[in-house]
Amino acid sequence: MILGRMVGTVWATRKNPRLGNLKLALVRPYFWYDPSHDVDHLVAVDQVGAEVGQDVIVCLGQPGRWAAGDFRCPIEASVAAIVDETRIARKSLSDAQARFALRQAFLPASLQWTEGDTMAEDRSR
Amino acid sequence: MFLGRVVGSVWGGKEAASLGVNKLALVRPVAFPAHGPVVAVEADGADQPLTPALKIALDQLGAGIGEYVLVGHGSRIRDLTVGPFLPTKDVLVAIVDSCHVDPALFPDADTGTPDASGVTP
Repeated sequence: MILGRMVGTVWATRKNPRLGNLKLALVRPYFWYDPSHDVDHLVAVDQVGAEVGQDVIVCLGQPGRWAAGDFRCPIEASVAAIVDETRIARKSLSDAQARFALRQAFLPASLQWTEGDTMAEDRSR
Repeated sequence: MFLGRVVGSVWGGKEAASLGVNKLALVRPVAFPAHGPVVAVEADGADQPLTPALKIALDQLGAGIGEYVLVGHGSRIRDLTVGPFLPTKDVLVAIVDSCHVDPALFPDADTGTPDASGVTP
């Protein structure tokens, strides 16, 4: 699963019949996630009713098909949850590789920085 | 699945027999750059910037050049759309009418360093 921001919606009328009336959400991931193509976005089916601007968790692969309700629909990703709050320990990202790092100008809307060194240390507070 | 734009088509003089009469479309993924403005993708609207990548996808929907499409990737997508015996992993699953993106949700300036391909993240 990956964390991203829903930034738009996609409409199509000519499509594979199994896509039916599924709502398609355009999501930009916050972190690099090993996409199958060199793209900076992904299109996910939204069955939870996310709105543009919200942080969402996107489920990839076969479980994403289950989440869409029909494992035969030709999709790769679906929105699994709408995020209320994200907590990241500030220090834990300081030495992250560039492609795994959060970008200063594109941070999760639900992000709360915490000051612990690691997530474990943060939880023990 | 990603948004792309059909930029051409490919024909083979000799093709794998299982490919049959299926069309192959050349698709370039749409880029949503961290820098610069983002415009809404419309069927006949302004040009959205594209990434340098070039993909060849099986087209059973009859997409024309210049149309925005949704491309699914993977053997499961292929099995579910065109059947298990076609030698491809990229399949067009939809022809996009419109895609509305809120420019306010994109950063105006990015302090991160884009990849060599110019694609982030």
